[in-house]
Amino acid sequence: MKRICLALIAPLLFAQRPGDPPELRALIDPDTAEVLRRIDAVGPYEVPDLRLKQDTNYAKTPIDIEPYSGAKPYKEHFLVQMEYTGPRRAEPEPGPDLKSVKIGFIGPIMATVSVATGGASHEEALGIKMLQGAQLAIEQANARGGYLRRKIPFELVVSNDNGLWGASGNEIINMAYKDRVWGILGTIDGANSHIAIRVALKAEIVMVNSGDTDPTFIETNIPWVMRVISDDRQQSYLLMDYIIRKMNYRRIGIIRASNRYGRFGVREVRDSARRLQRPIILEMAYRVGAEDFSLQLERLKAANLDCIIHWGDAKESALILNQMRKMGMNQPYFASDRTVSDEFLAIAGKNAEGVICAYPWNPDRKDPKLDEFRKAFRARFNQEPETYAAHGYDGMNLLIWAIQVAGLNRAKIRDVLAYRSQPWPGVTGDIPFSATLDDLGEVFICRRENGAWKYYSREDLGIPRGYIPARDRVSRATGAIEPMK
Amino acid sequence: MRLASVFALAAGLGCILPWGSGGQAQTAAPAAAAQKLPYIYTHWRQFTTKDGLPNDHIFAVKADGPRVWIGTEGGLAMLDKRTGKIRSWTEKDGLPWRVITGIDVDKKTGDVWLALFGAGLARFSGGRFDHWHQMNSGLVNDVVYAVAVENDNVWAATTAGASRYNTVTKEWTVFTEKNAPMEEIWNYGVHYGDGKVHLAVWGSGILEYDVATGRWKDYLDPDGEMEIDLYRDDGIIHVITTGAGYVDKVLWVSSYFGASRYDGRHWRGFYNQDSGLPSDFINNIAVRSGNEAWFCTDKGLGAAVDVATNTWVAYTRDPKRNTGYAVVTRDKQVIETVETGLNIPHNYTISADINGNDVWIGTAKGLAWGIGKDYYPGLRERGVMTASARSASGGAR
Repeated sequence: MKRICLALIAPLLFAQRPGDPPELRALIDPDTAEVLRRIDAVGPYEVPDLRLKQDTNYAKTPIDIEPYSGAKPYKEHFLVQMEYTGPRRAEPEPGPDLKSVKIGFIGPIMATVSVATGGASHEEALGIKMLQGAQLAIEQANARGGYLRRKIPFELVVSNDNGLWGASGNEIINMAYKDRVWGILGTIDGANSHIAIRVALKAEIVMVNSGDTDPTFIETNIPWVMRVISDDRQQSYLLMDYIIRKMNYRRIGIIRASNRYGRFGVREVRDSARRLQRPIILEMAYRVGAEDFSLQLERLKAANLDCIIHWGDAKESALILNQMRKMGMNQPYFASDRTVSDEFLAIAGKNAEGVICAYPWNPDRKDPKLDEFRKAFRARFNQEPETYAAHGYDGMNLLIWAIQVAGLNRAKIRDVLAYRSQPWPGVTGDIPFSATLDDLGEVFICRRENGAWKYYSREDLGIPRGYIPARDRVSRATGAIEPMK
Repeated sequence: MRLASVFALAAGLGCILPWGSGGQAQTAAPAAAAQKLPYIYTHWRQFTTKDGLPNDHIFAVKADGPRVWIGTEGGLAMLDKRTGKIRSWTEKDGLPWRVITGIDVDKKTGDVWLALFGAGLARFSGGRFDHWHQMNSGLVNDVVYAVAVENDNVWAATTAGASRYNTVTKEWTVFTEKNAPMEEIWNYGVHYGDGKVHLAVWGSGILEYDVATGRWKDYLDPDGEMEIDLYRDDGIIHVITTGAGYVDKVLWVSSYFGASRYDGRHWRGFYNQDSGLPSDFINNIAVRSGNEAWFCTDKGLGAAVDVATNTWVAYTRDPKRNTGYAVVTRDKQVIETVETGLNIPHNYTISADINGNDVWIGTAKGLAWGIGKDYYPGLRERGVMTASARSASGGAR
């Protein structure tokens, strides 16, 4: 009752700190005002009394694809939000001589040799788009007055993460301790992401991820990390519901990149297929950068498959598809979201028709925000924005909002993000956060039809969904799972 | 007020409160009756920047006789236990980088080895710093989380594999997925003891290197799933591990999900829900014996002090008052709550070391020295202490 009363009056009493300009007040919703009131009130030894996000189900996982679904686990993780219990909320803001508010960006933006990503670097095209989205967000924020409390600009500190082995760790340290950025957006490659977030945890700086769809990225119990793109788990769930529950394919094969993106991307595909009584018939991996896939495809062809799923980058996806068709393999071709690209279309040509991908958002959505973003992006870069640009833009805007609202204190910036009660209204759609601060927004099926990508929701295509229990696994009664007919 | 604080503390620890709602004490055993209880540290000293530390965020602490080496976010310090004086080094004194995440001391040479967060490895010897990094040595990565001295070798746990430096032959060996069973290469902790090096690897559980045979063995979470622990006692509870300690041929493991213990035959998992762990988020571990391990969590310090009875002592600071508490639990039931006076300076604990009867705890806001006067291991018959033990001479006996 006390909490409810406070929540009701907080906007009136505490919606802003003394001297906050009106344009800043407009950014503070009542729930955030209450979070600010509570985090401003604590000293270095106290932990603010904030309502932790709690999920009753991890990642909206249907009961029939939960791991060990016939057994009750001793412990289920990730259902309650992690806290930050350290003293940094009490640290003072920097003095008046600050000239800019620095925000870090880390991503694969320079071509190099990268052991971490499986050989030659290959993600620059994605990283540069993500950087452009972030740059646009910064420039627009500066056009609106920059950091509103001090009327100073935001400054993007840009670093490359695919240099030397494990370079992302060094880069985060530089940004945290030398550049003294207030938050970081970044990383695409799963290995680099894990390295980066471990450093962010020790350095105690928030990292917003907009490009790594590795499900394990968020499964680390780090209270300083959040993600604004739906991961491969969510995309796999939808794809496998389409392939198995809707299309009833029985003999499913996988071809994937031998890097972390491929290895972890298909994990939920493989697990879902097995748990839905359709174990993957054959899984073949290839070296990143390969151009001849005959070894893998000959085996997949011999397996007499109903469909083939590819998890890897656009170029390899197109080459595999072309070689499949040339070999007379006319099975439906499913792929991860990276296939949805101009590079894929340029190589695949007519073979692209009918390809189906999982996709983390719906670019065809009618939304004035999205239209404005596209217009501004074209004006700024003379290019079309794609998924990495759009998610980078959303992630950077979220970070800018948090810095504006919380002030120049890393712990408080983390708090307003972590305890945000409403989904973030991004150009990629509303982004609701789970207890792990992962993006649990809607994902889509993307199909190449008549020379264009068409995006479909689960409802559009009538894709059945497994039952998602409303209780956590430990406190729920265990029931037998009906096998698929 | 004091009793209320004790209630709040016990509730905050997630303990089963032994008191009814009316505030009437209902201890598990009569207060005056002697029962088998653990030692409680009731004498503590704290050190912060006011005492000469270069920074209050203590990533690493290592006691070496009367010298206590302290790795902070802003430099290196050495505390002389005998005088209480602190000397410190920063970059202007030749320290290669100010953020120090791990420390070990070579018993043979007295050299102090430093894990530098983003700058490699340093040796402090004879008043001079020597520096190894990716560009001048075989160190596999500059983000070094921990360091351990094993005979003539120095092991560094880095974010992209482990490196071993032989201080006699000057040879470097790199261990990654190419030559060790590292499913992932993100090393986080390293410990040497009883002829074995243990690496705590983020995403790859615990890797054990037998120094005599050069063979590796891995310990992974048997259920293989990130989001659940299917059975508590079937292996390590999670593959994202943060530290390990091997003493008396018993392996203790910390993680951000709870703790594990392996005696060579049986595994045992510990969570906040079933033990005296203040929280499942464990930054680090210090092991005294096969029966006693200290866990640095984000909500206080938890010491497993008797495995057979699942007896723990949790130390926390009262966030509003300049005091702290020790809560003894057995199978999660609170059997004793003692106000110790200020113990750890902050409940966000990061590092620990055990030195004889004393314990050293690094926190996010200062260092604590728990003075183990008349320390005893395990359990002994004694009376339950009164709420405030600060005035009791000699602490727990």
